[in-house]
Amino acid sequence: MSMQVAPTLSRHSLTRFQRAPKIVRKLRRNPKTGLPTPHVKIVAREFAPCRLEDHYHTTLKDDLMYMTYKHQIGEAPEPRKIRLQFDPENPYTKFRHNPPVGGSQFHKKPSAPSTPDNTIRLEKIQLHTMVKEAVANKSQLLPAIMQMKALTGESFQGGGQHAVEGIQIVKAKKSIGGWIRPNIPVGVKVDLKGQAMYDFLGTLVEFVLPRLRDFNGIVLPPATLSTKTPSSVSGVVSFGLPPHALVFFPQIEVNVDSYPKLVGMHIHFVTNATGIGAQDRARALVSGFQVPFVRR
Amino acid sequence: MLSRTSSRCVRVGRLSILRTVATEAAAAASEPPAPTLAQTPRPRKAPKPHLSTSIILTRAPILTRTPTPFEQAYYSYQARIRRALHNPFPYDFYFKQGTLIETRFNLEERKRERLAFGPAFLPKEAVSEEKRAADTAAVEQLAQQEGEGEVLMPRIHPSDTAGDVKSLDRRGKRNLYLLLQTSESGKDAWRFPQGDVEKDLFLHQAAHKDLLAECGDEMDTWIVGKAPIGIYKPPQPEASPEMAERIVFFFKAHIMAGQVKPQGNHISDFAWLTKQEIETRVDKHYWDSIKDILSDY
Repeated sequence: MSMQVAPTLSRHSLTRFQRAPKIVRKLRRNPKTGLPTPHVKIVAREFAPCRLEDHYHTTLKDDLMYMTYKHQIGEAPEPRKIRLQFDPENPYTKFRHNPPVGGSQFHKKPSAPSTPDNTIRLEKIQLHTMVKEAVANKSQLLPAIMQMKALTGESFQGGGQHAVEGIQIVKAKKSIGGWIRPNIPVGVKVDLKGQAMYDFLGTLVEFVLPRLRDFNGIVLPPATLSTKTPSSVSGVVSFGLPPHALVFFPQIEVNVDSYPKLVGMHIHFVTNATGIGAQDRARALVSGFQVPFVRR
Repeated sequence: MLSRTSSRCVRVGRLSILRTVATEAAAAASEPPAPTLAQTPRPRKAPKPHLSTSIILTRAPILTRTPTPFEQAYYSYQARIRRALHNPFPYDFYFKQGTLIETRFNLEERKRERLAFGPAFLPKEAVSEEKRAADTAAVEQLAQQEGEGEVLMPRIHPSDTAGDVKSLDRRGKRNLYLLLQTSESGKDAWRFPQGDVEKDLFLHQAAHKDLLAECGDEMDTWIVGKAPIGIYKPPQPEASPEMAERIVFFFKAHIMAGQVKPQGNHISDFAWLTKQEIETRVDKHYWDSIKDILSDY
């Protein structure tokens, strides 16, 4: 078998390509840019094996499943309906959406039973920064945008992926007297998914966190904190980096002088965990990628 | 998880006993006592099962997987698309004009373009031969100063070629598991480290104690979670209701540092093996209960 395959491999390399076929059909021109547009939609996908993703699948996933597994015999009983609803027999409300008074109370519900599909995983990493000076002068956002661009390399629908939103401008929602008005740009955020997410995580863990002097780990809340707060049931781990920490990212380190001002940022690790104890499970996952945690 | 199950069963059993007693009491109050009921002998309870814990000590992969030929071709095709579609690179933002670093970047970038799209893709550079030679020499000198060109360590360890199954550096791309060769009651068998559960000890505590008892304390280990991940019931020589059932609970553990040092006379050998290698060494019955626990990677 190998005797037959070897000459074929040497003739056609796996990583080099022959000359591209000649284009015979006339390409359409984009009316806006005047550039030729291919007949097919071209999408750039993963272009290298991803080390941390492999680590998740070969090591972390099994361990996290064992650590977060909740044994349940048979089907869980239907929760008691103690919250008021409109009378379902009333003709006015009969076929309407009839949620209980006080909302769905999702923070009081236990997490879903463990299955192979809902083993905890990292869905996305969100980087977010607010620039106070941008309230007075929105051009102050430019360094923050450039900094995010250098850190992540994301652009709007980059690589033909329609779900990639690139670097987004965050606008104010509320009106606070004497400070902000609705719809003025005040910040910048990026959502990282897939390979870009794992690349960023690797950079953060290997280049930045070990070089921060005053950082011992993400501070855990005191044990007396309620387990039913919105933050502890939503499966997100968040922490912040001060402006002086950004110097340690290699993407920024190469030309720190080019940035008029570096801004700090919040980093949110968003997982698929929900329900009571979701944040603890999310911490277990994130610490598996060597992000340290400390107790005060 | 399993211990919780058993406790729940026990609780249900007790409740049902209480309930029967209560109804009997009610019946006794209303009716005259039936003498036959008291005389029937109670059925003998089955003896308590004999519990053991076993630790599946794992060395996680230390090298990345080698991509298959298909994956290699796919990745390089995608890398080429990516290179063709990328946004323009802001040279001025990253390099001062005329610096050595910029020259290096340009040279390397031309090399990468040539590799991706072929030699005919790039237009000829408008520089003289002397200038090009000087640039190349300067870049080579810079590379030497920065200590580039170091040879990476090989992906195949000497222990792989020597067939040394005791080394923790072998088969870096795979999950390895510790197997012990034991001789108990005149029979030679390969199995995971194992030991009995003492009284008043939780299962995960017993697992830690048993691991130290058989493998020595010259290694750093971490037992994953407090719940067992699997169960094994060894075949009994003769099945009788009098004999206690034997139950082995498996726990997963990771080795961080150190090496195994077998303790006791009953252990003659140890080996760090992949899933496929384990299948050739253990009994069929044992294999059937552990094969789904072990990783294919």
